[in-house]
Amino acid sequence: MNDGPLIVQSDKTLLLEVDHELASECRKAIAPFAELERSPEHIHTYRLTPLGLWNARAAGHDAEQVVDTLLLYSRYAVPHSLLVDVAETMARYGRLRLDKDPVHGLVLSSTERGVFEEVVRSKRVAGMLGERIDDTSVAVHGSERGNLKQALLKLGWPAEDFAGYVDGEAHAIALDETGWNLRAYQKEAAESFWHGGSGVVVLPCGAGKTIVGAAAMSLAQATTLILVTNTVSARQWKAELLKRTTLTEDEIGEYSGAKKEVRAVTIATYQVLTLRRKGAYPHLDLLDAKDWGLIVYDEVHLLPAPIFRMTANLQARRRIGLTATLVREDGREGDVFSLIGPKRYDAPWKDIESQGWIAPADCVEVRVTLPEGERLAYATADPDERYRLAACTFAKTTIAEKLVEQHRGEPTLVIGQYLDQLDELGEHLGAPVIKGSTTVKEREELFEAFRTGDIDLLVVSKVANFSVDLPSAAVAIQVSGSFGSRQEEAQRLGRLLRPKEIGADGTQKPARFYAIVSRDTVDADFAQNRQRFLAEQGYAYRIVDAADI
Amino acid sequence: MPRSLADQLRSWPEARVARLLEGRPDLASPAPQDSAQLASRAGTRASIGRVLDRLTVLELSTLEAVVASGPTSSLEQVQALVYADPAVVASTVERLQDVALVWGTPDELRVLGPVPDLLGSQSLLGLGVEALLSSYGPARIASLVTAVGVQPTGDRASDMRTIAVRLSVPAVVERLVGSLDPKARAILDHLERTGADGTIGAAGEPTDQLLGSGLLIAKTTDRVAVPREVAVSLRGGHLTREPVDVPPALATSGRDPRLVDRTAGHAAFEFVRHTELLLETWGTNPPPGLRQGGLAVRELRTAAQLLHVEDRAAALIIEIAAAAGLLGMGATDVFDQAWLPTDAFDLWNTASTSQRWVTLATAWRDNPRLTGLIGGRLNGKPVNALAPELERPGLREARRTALQLVADLPPGEVLAATTGLPSLLALNSWHRPRQPKNRSDAVMWAVEEAAAIGVTALGGVSTHGRALLGDDPEAVVAVLEPLLPTAVEQVMVQADLTAVAPGPLSQELGRDLAVVADVESRGGATTYRFTEQSVRRAFDSGWSTAEIHGFLASASSTPIPQALEYLVNDVARRFGNVRVGMAECFLRSDDEAVLTTLVHDQRAASLRLRRIAPTVVVSDVPLDVLLPRLRELGVSPVVEAADGTVRVVRRDEYRARTPRSAGVVSNEARDAARTTARVTATVRAIRSGDRAAEVDTSRLAPVSPASLLGSLREATESGRTVWIGYVDNHGATTERVVDPLRVDAGRLWALDHRTDEQRSFALHRITGVRLL
Repeated sequence: MNDGPLIVQSDKTLLLEVDHELASECRKAIAPFAELERSPEHIHTYRLTPLGLWNARAAGHDAEQVVDTLLLYSRYAVPHSLLVDVAETMARYGRLRLDKDPVHGLVLSSTERGVFEEVVRSKRVAGMLGERIDDTSVAVHGSERGNLKQALLKLGWPAEDFAGYVDGEAHAIALDETGWNLRAYQKEAAESFWHGGSGVVVLPCGAGKTIVGAAAMSLAQATTLILVTNTVSARQWKAELLKRTTLTEDEIGEYSGAKKEVRAVTIATYQVLTLRRKGAYPHLDLLDAKDWGLIVYDEVHLLPAPIFRMTANLQARRRIGLTATLVREDGREGDVFSLIGPKRYDAPWKDIESQGWIAPADCVEVRVTLPEGERLAYATADPDERYRLAACTFAKTTIAEKLVEQHRGEPTLVIGQYLDQLDELGEHLGAPVIKGSTTVKEREELFEAFRTGDIDLLVVSKVANFSVDLPSAAVAIQVSGSFGSRQEEAQRLGRLLRPKEIGADGTQKPARFYAIVSRDTVDADFAQNRQRFLAEQGYAYRIVDAADI
Repeated sequence: MPRSLADQLRSWPEARVARLLEGRPDLASPAPQDSAQLASRAGTRASIGRVLDRLTVLELSTLEAVVASGPTSSLEQVQALVYADPAVVASTVERLQDVALVWGTPDELRVLGPVPDLLGSQSLLGLGVEALLSSYGPARIASLVTAVGVQPTGDRASDMRTIAVRLSVPAVVERLVGSLDPKARAILDHLERTGADGTIGAAGEPTDQLLGSGLLIAKTTDRVAVPREVAVSLRGGHLTREPVDVPPALATSGRDPRLVDRTAGHAAFEFVRHTELLLETWGTNPPPGLRQGGLAVRELRTAAQLLHVEDRAAALIIEIAAAAGLLGMGATDVFDQAWLPTDAFDLWNTASTSQRWVTLATAWRDNPRLTGLIGGRLNGKPVNALAPELERPGLREARRTALQLVADLPPGEVLAATTGLPSLLALNSWHRPRQPKNRSDAVMWAVEEAAAIGVTALGGVSTHGRALLGDDPEAVVAVLEPLLPTAVEQVMVQADLTAVAPGPLSQELGRDLAVVADVESRGGATTYRFTEQSVRRAFDSGWSTAEIHGFLASASSTPIPQALEYLVNDVARRFGNVRVGMAECFLRSDDEAVLTTLVHDQRAASLRLRRIAPTVVVSDVPLDVLLPRLRELGVSPVVEAADGTVRVVRRDEYRARTPRSAGVVSNEARDAARTTARVTATVRAIRSGDRAAEVDTSRLAPVSPASLLGSLREATESGRTVWIGYVDNHGATTERVVDPLRVDAGRLWALDHRTDEQRSFALHRITGVRLL
């Protein structure tokens, strides 16, 4: 009894010892109610949050089960106060309910007068509620369903939503599993989304999130709106859907800057939706253009603020968010959860890697020293300029050249933030540069050439940070980035994680990710923050001195 | 048959008298001289009040029954009134006799004189019909007699008796109640349930109905009460609606006792460790004590953050440490009054964890302070930890009783998660219905605290908790020791720069690790994070790079990740790059040879020169000593000012400040000047008064405001002196001679001759004006 894999801390974190024999069993047991926070090599940290506990309640787990699970796997006694807290938190769920009512539309009600009064009188919900129906129920403005649920969460009285979802216009979609199979975790992810109604699926880059989207569509069997980050990615979605499902060319429309097709399955970019002309959003009507049965948000961590607001009005439709890295430096992860839905599935990167679905990666931090002259320029520069100076040092170009040389023959990406630096690199390396000003056509051609192996070296700006599928890429060299962005670092690594061919020794050859960092500058500080997400996912950076390359 | 309580006490066997003294210990000290004295003490209001507070619902109800059927009542009467098993009632009466609240024989039971009065407002007993009717006139009584269905006799006493008897018959009351309308019925029910008096507002139909039938009787013109006989009839012939011999059951659920023990053991371990950590921290960095005693809220919060617990939990730890004598007030270099660990703490710290827990838990068990109040407000003022005014009588007893109720549950049963505590509170108030209201709070807090300390867990009392309640410290240690987690000697260091100790660390390792890394989360395990600051802290406390690497390697059960090695090396590389020291003077010279000569010159030894760079030497000798000495040594130094410019040395010339009063004035002269001034002022005042008097006021016609204003304006413009009549603040009319300066905002600004000062006069108070 005294040797479980789990240590329950009084600050509501759960520490799971990975090498323990019961570890995977325990992980499955706590996954429904605890959120994975970090997963470095030895001890994974989960956290009990009210949101997580309420989601567990919504999924049919009760406090007793949660307590029993903790007691069963805990190595030490579980702090009493934590158990009390779990019971109390979970008891708050479902005291309020949202129902559809033939007369009043949407109705918020409660069996407990006290709770109901507290909520109804709160300032947060003012304006969302209509007239009182009786002592314990009140009408809700239909358009405020999302906002109200969000406000109730913040008040600590989450409403159980029985109002359901609109089915949307039916449309037959099925997976076409010829030559491939839905992976177990993909199936699990799609199903747990479906049972939950709406929500976010978190899977590592390269683990096949598009397919989870397709699987969700096949479950919904309805017209679908897919929101993606850019046109290139829209095309990739289309190609993938054609390949993986029974959908045909004319059933899929693209709604972007170039084309404006509205079909049974429509792929639109965030950009076109948030385009603003004379203070109005001319393309917003797309959201109501069809009776969508499902809305897919690709790379949900990038969801722009206007879309947040629009999404609040779409609570009656099923929504699925897909992402690899739900970390935002602006701390708005919570908004994603409350508007799209709670996290329905999350898998540690290393887990998927050990199953062979994503390539192993070797992360290397290469430290360069600023030359004396640049060092002085850096020391006297404005604070705003410092990062740029440190990130664009010529020393990095030299090292990048050396690294490219070492990996000659392997498909390599050089990734950076600053355009002059990229141009300089392109010139030195004799490689094509893809940046914001490159046309979509040109981009697609270059990416295609890279995929087929015609070229094996590309210099890319942040346009290739995500949603660009380059399965063959094996080496990435990052020379600069947008400050301390954790998700950018992870997404860039993600470009390399498509499974690779199995080598002679029966394992995949690991991908190489180099981050070149200027020692003793803000660059190094930002690098540390950037690496945090990956380090927490268990990617240990190796540090190498530039001189040793 | 005893004639009095004293008589009965005399006849009691010794054992029974002993029982009385046990039940009412206040009667025994000082020892009474004889039974008469014992009886008279037992009859005092204070003593009866004390014993009443310790009665259960059953005992109280039985006592009320004796009072209700008094002045003398038989056991059968009492058994009929109390809603309980007659046998139980009989034994309860026996018990009441044991504590001398009731005396006499079963056929003639009596209560002590002050009892009915003391039961007073807290009981549902109410007054009897005859007592209530005392204020009624014959006509009202006659109509009531008719209302209860009997012919009035006209004899007041016998009519009252008749009403009482009729209202004691349930059937009669039932009939009367049946004829009420619903509103009146509701009023009656409400008054009967609460046992309170009702007030009549505007005379209403429903109350009139009730008063007319005798179901309510008016005490005064506006207060009414339900007579006891009616209430009893309404309750089906009993004093209460519910049976009183069944204490409310505790809501329980099943729990493996081993799990309870383990959880409690863990909490006990945590509590000891928290106490140790807090007191050790306070030993080096003590918080100041407040002037009125207690600990500032800010300090409490800091402590809570240190321990990673909530404020309330931190307050408990602090309070118990103080109660156990481990924390006390003392003086430090910084504060006159600071909270410091006592020397008992050092002794305590050497004992085993379980022994240390016994000390803390015993201190808690016997703590007379209501620590749950901390953080709340008392009489409008916030309550601080360690504040002096928290002691409450009866708290120990309440805490012990409540825990004993839980401890008495059969093994494997614990209080249910959400309903358990309310049921415990209900049971507690069944046992002590008359206790003050805050007893419920005390019980609630006791349960909460017991869990925090590790006496209980998951709603059940642990085995070591039972031993603690049973006052058996050896048993506690024996039971607790195996439950405590064993210390781990190694941590796991991970690439995200965290280290996790998967269990309690040995003291030494924990202390060292806390130097190199910051604690992120505490509990069964401890999570540490390595940061630049934390590593630098290690360097600051004198560790070398090799020592840090060595320590990490020996402390970690996993290989040290490269990122951590780099972090340590990076910090090491920068550590001490810039050096800071203190010096009184510096000497610099571009000619290194000059400095070398100086530093090696024997005669300059007293200057304590230290070379910190080829061209810089520092000294801790002040400049005015250094400078002449250097000149003696044949150097010609130039002094630099703070901004680096050369300071030219010039001999200072000293001057004293000129005294303020130039020229000598004799005291006599000064005194004379003062006298003159005073006299002048007096004279001026007199003169001014004279001039005012010259004006014959009688000759002044009453002035209109317009002409008054006109005269004043004229005087202002021409600069003439005027006489005015003025009503001062006290309403007295005075006469002033003034030089008007200006008139505005309803006021006259003028120079008053009497005081020779400028002042203002309200225009509406000026009664007359005359130009002089």
